[in-house]
Amino acid sequence: MNALERMARTPIAALEFANILLTERDTQIAVTPKDVVWTHRTTTLYRYRSTQRTYPVPVLLVFALINRPDIFDLRPGNSFVEFLLDEGYDVFLLDWGVPDEADADLGLEHYVCDEIPSGLREVSRASGQEEATLLGWCIGGTLSLLHCALEPGTAVRNLVLLTTPIDTTGSLYATWVARDSFDVDRVADVYGAVPGGTVDWANKLMKPVTNYWTTRRRLWQQVLDGEARPEAYQAMAKWVADNPPFPGRAYREWITWMYKENRLVRGLMRMRGRRADVSAVQQNLLVVTAGADHIAPREGTLPVLDQVGSADVTHLDRPGGHIGLMAGSKARKDVWPHIAEWLGERSDA
Amino acid sequence: MAEDRPTPEQEARRLYEEAESRVAKAAERVVSRDSFGELLAMATENVVAVTRMSFDALDLVWSNLRLAGRRDITRLGRQLGRTEDKLEQVLQEVERLRDQVESSSDNGAKPAAGAKPAAARRRSQRSSSP
Repeated sequence: MNALERMARTPIAALEFANILLTERDTQIAVTPKDVVWTHRTTTLYRYRSTQRTYPVPVLLVFALINRPDIFDLRPGNSFVEFLLDEGYDVFLLDWGVPDEADADLGLEHYVCDEIPSGLREVSRASGQEEATLLGWCIGGTLSLLHCALEPGTAVRNLVLLTTPIDTTGSLYATWVARDSFDVDRVADVYGAVPGGTVDWANKLMKPVTNYWTTRRRLWQQVLDGEARPEAYQAMAKWVADNPPFPGRAYREWITWMYKENRLVRGLMRMRGRRADVSAVQQNLLVVTAGADHIAPREGTLPVLDQVGSADVTHLDRPGGHIGLMAGSKARKDVWPHIAEWLGERSDA
Repeated sequence: MAEDRPTPEQEARRLYEEAESRVAKAAERVVSRDSFGELLAMATENVVAVTRMSFDALDLVWSNLRLAGRRDITRLGRQLGRTEDKLEQVLQEVERLRDQVESSSDNGAKPAAGAKPAAARRRSQRSSSP
């Protein structure tokens, strides 16, 4: 395209660019058909419809308390759920819903000691299987690990942790929130449910130019070059912009226990009077880390490999970011098949 | 090779992207500094304080108007939440007891021909509840 053609194309590109940004919210994400199995407070357990369940051990997906779990099923053709279903897995999703001020009293123990065990129980009832695979992403991974550490007899056969924070020493988050001057109690008290937009703003602030400018500038360039993929951009942008509030008590505990006191890796995490002993985790363990993860840096996840008591531990490290690793354009070829293969070897009756 | 030489436009784009990448790295260095963390903590404290003042003022106006406000609705929501917690506990206990009864009766007698398995029966009952 020469300069003249490019100049002629600019007004059309501007329209297309504006259209992509303005219709972002209309795009459909998380469309794989699913049924409600169980609900409690804001939590919902879904089961995805499937006609070919090859592996008897079901997979329970657990996402973080920030953003929505739709990222597991972003869009047709780029959906981890769709991929697992095609591979023959029976897939369940534990969705934390959208908490509000009335849920300010929900602490981490609500998720770890109530919702995950109840979710597993309902998965077992619905699938007729005694054991399941627990697959947690980000904070969801930490919650899953805590569940296995607190309940050694849990019905989890395989534990998969995707970009999960374990040791927060030296992380950028720790630089911001672990200091005494960051008064997490006051934030939690005033808001009750910490607005999701605030958490999102903090996440984006970690890479301000990339998140606030480069992403859109690249889109503009792609539109100008006629190479834009609006459906991919819009699906991801819609997911990024959907930020449910973080229940106040859970937020206070997450920041204090994980960042200010770094309890998990120090073996000091206690819930309902019991110590979460990571060495008590006996499940087959797959830990997936991303080389360029700035939210849960790889170095902060690796300690779990040495701490768990599992005899079967696998570490999968791939280039990519915290989200891009699993939802990026390369995930379908570079990451998902490895996870499916690992699961396949451990999901027989 | 004249064909391999980048056009002025390509060169301008390359220079721009280089500059942008340098600015991005510099910004990341800035936000990772201790002083930025301190600044962020102070800014957060100020925002939270202003928010609290606004919430308190609004709540005062609202309660003086004798209207149900944010706090009342939250309180009701919490009560509902606690009730739901108790119901869930009762439901789980009932299901546990029913499992016990069924397993003990299964040991004594064969299920009737064509009868739905107990687990499937429970499943259909529970999935229709929400």
